[in-house]
Amino acid sequence: MVISAWETYLPTFIRWCAVGGGVILSMIGLYYLLRFFKVKPEVANGYALILPWILGFLIWNLYPFARSFYLSFTQYNMFQPPQWIGLENYVRMFTKDPYFWPSFRLTLFYAALNVPLGLIGSILVALLLNRPIKGIGIWRTIYYLPAVLPAAAVALLWRWMFSPTSGLINFTLQPVYKLLNMRPLEWFTDPNLLMPAFVIMGMWGVFGANTVILLAGLKNIPKELYEAADIDGATGWSKFIHVTLPMLSPTIFYNLVTGIIGSLQIFTQAFFIPIPRASGTFLNVKIYQEAFSFGNFGYASALAWFLLVVILLLTLLVFRSSALWVYYEGEKR
Amino acid sequence: MTSISLPATATTQKTQFGMRGRRTLADLITYILLALFSLFVLIPFFYMFSTSLKPESQLFEWPIRWIPDPIMWENYVRAFQELSRIAPGLDFWRILGNTLFITILAMVAELVAVTIVAYGFARFRFPGRDVFFILMLSTMMLPGIITLIPIFVIWRNLGLIDTYDPLVTGIWLGGGAWAVFLLRQFLLSIPKEIEEAAIIDGANTFQIYYKIMLPLIKPALLALGVLIFQGNWNNFMGPLIYLNTPVKFPMVVALKFFQESLSKEAPKWHYMMAMSTVMAAPILALFFAAQRYFIEGLTVGAVKG
Repeated sequence: MVISAWETYLPTFIRWCAVGGGVILSMIGLYYLLRFFKVKPEVANGYALILPWILGFLIWNLYPFARSFYLSFTQYNMFQPPQWIGLENYVRMFTKDPYFWPSFRLTLFYAALNVPLGLIGSILVALLLNRPIKGIGIWRTIYYLPAVLPAAAVALLWRWMFSPTSGLINFTLQPVYKLLNMRPLEWFTDPNLLMPAFVIMGMWGVFGANTVILLAGLKNIPKELYEAADIDGATGWSKFIHVTLPMLSPTIFYNLVTGIIGSLQIFTQAFFIPIPRASGTFLNVKIYQEAFSFGNFGYASALAWFLLVVILLLTLLVFRSSALWVYYEGEKR
Repeated sequence: MTSISLPATATTQKTQFGMRGRRTLADLITYILLALFSLFVLIPFFYMFSTSLKPESQLFEWPIRWIPDPIMWENYVRAFQELSRIAPGLDFWRILGNTLFITILAMVAELVAVTIVAYGFARFRFPGRDVFFILMLSTMMLPGIITLIPIFVIWRNLGLIDTYDPLVTGIWLGGGAWAVFLLRQFLLSIPKEIEEAAIIDGANTFQIYYKIMLPLIKPALLALGVLIFQGNWNNFMGPLIYLNTPVKFPMVVALKFFQESLSKEAPKWHYMMAMSTVMAAPILALFFAAQRYFIEGLTVGAVKG
C-alpha cells in the first residue's frame, strides 16, 4: 500500500503549526499572568521569553534523564510496564555480556586515536594556512568540504574506498602486495585493521572543521605579541612555544572537549559499516541495537548511563588538566 | 611582509637575500604540504563522483578509469528506479519532498524558538537567569542517547511513531542549547542603548524584537540557519528510529535502506555512489553559496566563547 505524500505531510504540518502557536500563546499567557501578580515587566518578559526553553528542558532533558536512570534498573520491552530488577542490567553488562568489553574497548580506542591524531593534524594544517600564502579562501574551502558531507555518505564512500577486492586503496597498494607476496588487506573486516580504517575515515571527516576553528583562533592572536617576541630576538620555534601555543590553547581545549564527546558517540559511520561480531560494536550502535532491534530498553538504558559516566569522567579530566595548560588572557589568578 | 619594508643598505641586503631564500623554501614546502593534504581531501570526492558515472563492468577495473567511458549519467536515474522497485512509491521526488519537509519545518521551528529564548537570556534580568543558563549549557554535554529511549516512549504514547512529528514538532520546545548559546553571545554584542531608545518611544517587547533585534542579528541567523539546515539534512539517527514506512524515508535513511536491500544481491557501488552524490550535492551547493556563514557559525562559539 502506498501512502500519498499529502497524507503524510498534512497531519504533521497541522500539529506543527498548532504546537508552534500554542507555545507562543502560552508565552503571552505567562506574561499577562505574571503582570497580573504585579511582577516587574522586565522579569515577566524574561520568563515569558525563555518559556519555550523551560518547557523543552523539562520535557526533553530533565524527565527523560531521570526516567532513563530509573529504566536502567528495570527490565522493559515497551509492551509491559518496566519491572524493577535492581542492579542486574549492570551485572550483565560488566560480567555476562561477551560483547560489552570489546565494544567499550573499541569505542575508547577509537576516541584515543582519533582525537589526538586529528587535533595534531589540524593544528599543523592551520599553522600552514596561517602563513602568508596565496589563495587562503580556496584552501580553506577544500579542507572544509568533508565536514559538510552527510556522515552516511562519508561512511559509504570510505567503505567503497577500503573495499578489499576493488577499492581504490587496495588497488593502489597492489604493487606492495605483489612485492611482499601477501594477500590484499581486508580493512573493515579485519579485526586488527578496522581501527586504522575508522581513524582514517574519522580524520578525513572532521579534520576540515577543526582546522577552520583553529585557524580562526590563530588569526585572533594579536600581532603585537609576535612583534614583541621579534624584538626580544625569539626564533620561530620559541615564538611557537611561547606565543602561539599558549594563545591557541583555549581553542585547542574546545576542540579537545568536543572531539572526545563526539568520537565516543560515533554512530552513523559505525552503523553503515559492518564489522566482525567478535570485535564488538561502537557503544552508541550497541545501545541502539539493544533497544530498537532486541527490545531490551532497560539494558540499553544501563549502557547509555555507562557511556554518560565515561564521557563525564573524561571531560572532567580534561577540564581539571586545563588549569595546567590552557591560558586565558585577562584571567585573574 | 617584513622583508619588503627593510631598508636596502648593503648589510641588510645580504640578510634580506638570505631570509628571502629561506622564505621561498619555506613557502615551497608549505604549498607542497597544502597540496598533499588537499589531495587526501579531494581524491575520495572525485572517486565517489567518478564511480557514480561508471558502467558496472568498469567498477572493478585496474588501472582505475578516472573518467569512465562511456559516462553513464543514466546511473542517477537507474539508482532511483532500482530503489522504487524495492520500495514502491519511494521515488526521487518523494525522497526529496520528505527530506525538505523535515529539514525546513525543523529549521523554522528551531530558528524561531532559539531567537526568542536567546533574546530572553541576553536582554532581561530576572531571578534564576544565570542558573537557568548554566543548566542549559550543561545539557550540551549530555549524550543524546541517554534521553533517546524515554523520548521515544513519549512519542509512542502520543501515537506519533512513524510520523514526522518527533523530528519537527518537538523542536518548538526550546531548540538546541548550542544555537541559543551562539545567538546570545551575538546579542550581547549589540549595544543596549538601541532598545532603550525604542522603549522611550513606547515600543513593546514584540516590536523591539521584531523591528530592531531581528534585523540586527540577521547575519547570525543566516549562519545558524545554514548549520541547522545541514544538521537536519544529514541527520540519520532520528529518522532511523522514528520512521518505519519506506515511502516516508528522507534521503539518508533511504540510502541505508537501499544499501541493506542490495547487500543481498551484488553491491552496486555505482548506484550507491550516485545516491551519495545526490545526497551530498545540495549541501555542497549550499556550502559554496553561503560559505562565509558556515565558517562564521562554526567559529563564533569556539573562539569567542
